[in-house]
Amino acid sequence: MTSLDPVNATPTGLPVSSEALSAEPVAESGRAGAATWRVFRRDPLGIISLGLLLLLVVVALAAPLLASYPASYGTDVLRPPSLQYLFGTDSLGRDVLGEVIWGTQQSLLVAVAASIIAIAIGTLVAVIGAYFKRLDVFISVIVDLTLSLPVLPLMILIAALIGPSTATIIGVVAAFSWPEVTRLVRSQALTVVNLPYVDAARLMTTSPVWIIGRHIIPAVTPVIVVSVVVTASRAVLSAAGLAFLGLGDPTTWSWGRILYEAQQSGAMSSAWWLTLFPSIAILLLVLSATLLSIAYNDARNPRNRAR
Amino acid sequence: MSRLFFVLPRLGRGVFTIWFAVTVTFLLLRLLPGDPALAVASPNMTEEARAALLTQYGLDQPLIVQYGLYMWQMLQGNFGVSFTQSVPVMDVLLQRLPWTLLLTFTALVITVLVGIPLGVLAASRRGKVLDKIIQVIGVTGQSIFVPSIGVLLLFVFGLSLKWLPIGGAYDTDAYGMDWYGSVARHLILPAVSLMLIQLGSYVLTMRSTLIEALGEDYVTLAKANGLPYRRILWKHALRNALLPTTTLIGLQLGFLVGGAVLTETVFAYPGIGRGIYEAVTQLDFPVLQGAFLLLAITVVVANMLTDIVYGFLDPRVKTS
Repeated sequence: MTSLDPVNATPTGLPVSSEALSAEPVAESGRAGAATWRVFRRDPLGIISLGLLLLLVVVALAAPLLASYPASYGTDVLRPPSLQYLFGTDSLGRDVLGEVIWGTQQSLLVAVAASIIAIAIGTLVAVIGAYFKRLDVFISVIVDLTLSLPVLPLMILIAALIGPSTATIIGVVAAFSWPEVTRLVRSQALTVVNLPYVDAARLMTTSPVWIIGRHIIPAVTPVIVVSVVVTASRAVLSAAGLAFLGLGDPTTWSWGRILYEAQQSGAMSSAWWLTLFPSIAILLLVLSATLLSIAYNDARNPRNRAR
Repeated sequence: MSRLFFVLPRLGRGVFTIWFAVTVTFLLLRLLPGDPALAVASPNMTEEARAALLTQYGLDQPLIVQYGLYMWQMLQGNFGVSFTQSVPVMDVLLQRLPWTLLLTFTALVITVLVGIPLGVLAASRRGKVLDKIIQVIGVTGQSIFVPSIGVLLLFVFGLSLKWLPIGGAYDTDAYGMDWYGSVARHLILPAVSLMLIQLGSYVLTMRSTLIEALGEDYVTLAKANGLPYRRILWKHALRNALLPTTTLIGLQLGFLVGGAVLTETVFAYPGIGRGIYEAVTQLDFPVLQGAFLLLAITVVVANMLTDIVYGFLDPRVKTS
């Protein structure tokens, strides 16, 4: 029966976590990686989501080629989608397509930067906790407490005090995303530190840095890969939430800012295209990231390889 | 007596979590760039009023003294004075709290009522088309940005079909029973929006724990005894699979409240979330700080209650 400790109790929040936790705690060698890829590429859902993510990355990188930066005011105000303006125009006459394209850049930047920071902190804290058992109690209490608090209002307070900018958003989202990473990685790391090869490594060296870096982190890498995706998609939603409340960077377009400006101008519900297109963009990014992590987990699971 | 021993540690844990929330807020405000005095006193106040407030919070004292004073003020429920309304933050927020509680509680109840049967359905048709469809709905729901689904519902059911009101929490011209009716009608769209983003977690957790339960020996035994499948599913396996799902409620409360902040903003619902949105626009920092702390306390108390109820439902928790 599942334990009652809320940290380990259930596959929480996202469906991927349980699959991730049940995975074999062994580092993925080159051959296993190739086997994973062989199974993965036969999964249409995984391939489609990988393709979508790559497409979004291309759009973000090629934004200057695809659309001019929507800064100036236009004369065509609140036009519905047409051949001239595929996604319509906003209340200041700017092209929504351009805003969504440039918003892709900002949203991906925030997602990637915030999740890299969160993953680095989260993994480090998790493996250190798993290795040094005395610290683990302390770490798991902090993780537990942070996860049980409503973090969005806290992010809002801090972002408002520091002042809205891209760096603020990245920092704030990262600062409250690492406990989730720690929770995911920690449970895996706890199994790994008890494996015989880690004991063997202890006989070879007294350096915990070496053991953690050489033996523990590689063994939890699959979980890290999964949590990159999960954290990044959460970061997209958090950043969009902050921007939607008016805490986005006022100098750069983001999907959340399009929605915020639609809400502020009062055109949100009447001009449906102002909400629809950025919403679809958010959904596509988050959904494809989530599906990708599920497909990766399925492909990595040896039980699925036999077929 | 044994019940007291069961309840006390959970109370202690709750108090500890609230202490943690207050401490984190204090440290973040003092250690991050930005003027911590902004969290209690407006720069537009008169010099004396501002100085008096700063002394009250000890902002001219060393950090440790500040911390003590801050704790003391928080213990008294003194969250500072709203910049824009010049009334204590607590008064502003307590007026709004009931609406947020109503919205989140309703959303939670309908999520559980819809999510558990869907999870059971998926688990009992494991691998079939219906199971796939339910899983896709679950994963998609988790990927939706709350304001997106909120605006969509508002556009379809509010503006186009005109079935439901598009904002606010009640009709100003309704009295008596009509007023309750209007409250219920205004509640539907925001609560359903919140339900849709929460649903996935419940459905998927319910599904996987139920599948696990269906593989247990007692299910095989029940089958061997010739009990009908429906009865095994709903009476035997479900009862055991429900327990982890209950824990999920506690874990999801934080997300639920975050979602409520965004939902209230879309629907101009007069709860704390809409208050946060307005406070952001006006840079009313004391309201933002108070809102976080009050929501944190709400989540902690709700969590504690779930935990205690859970303990009374599951005899194993009480004894262990």
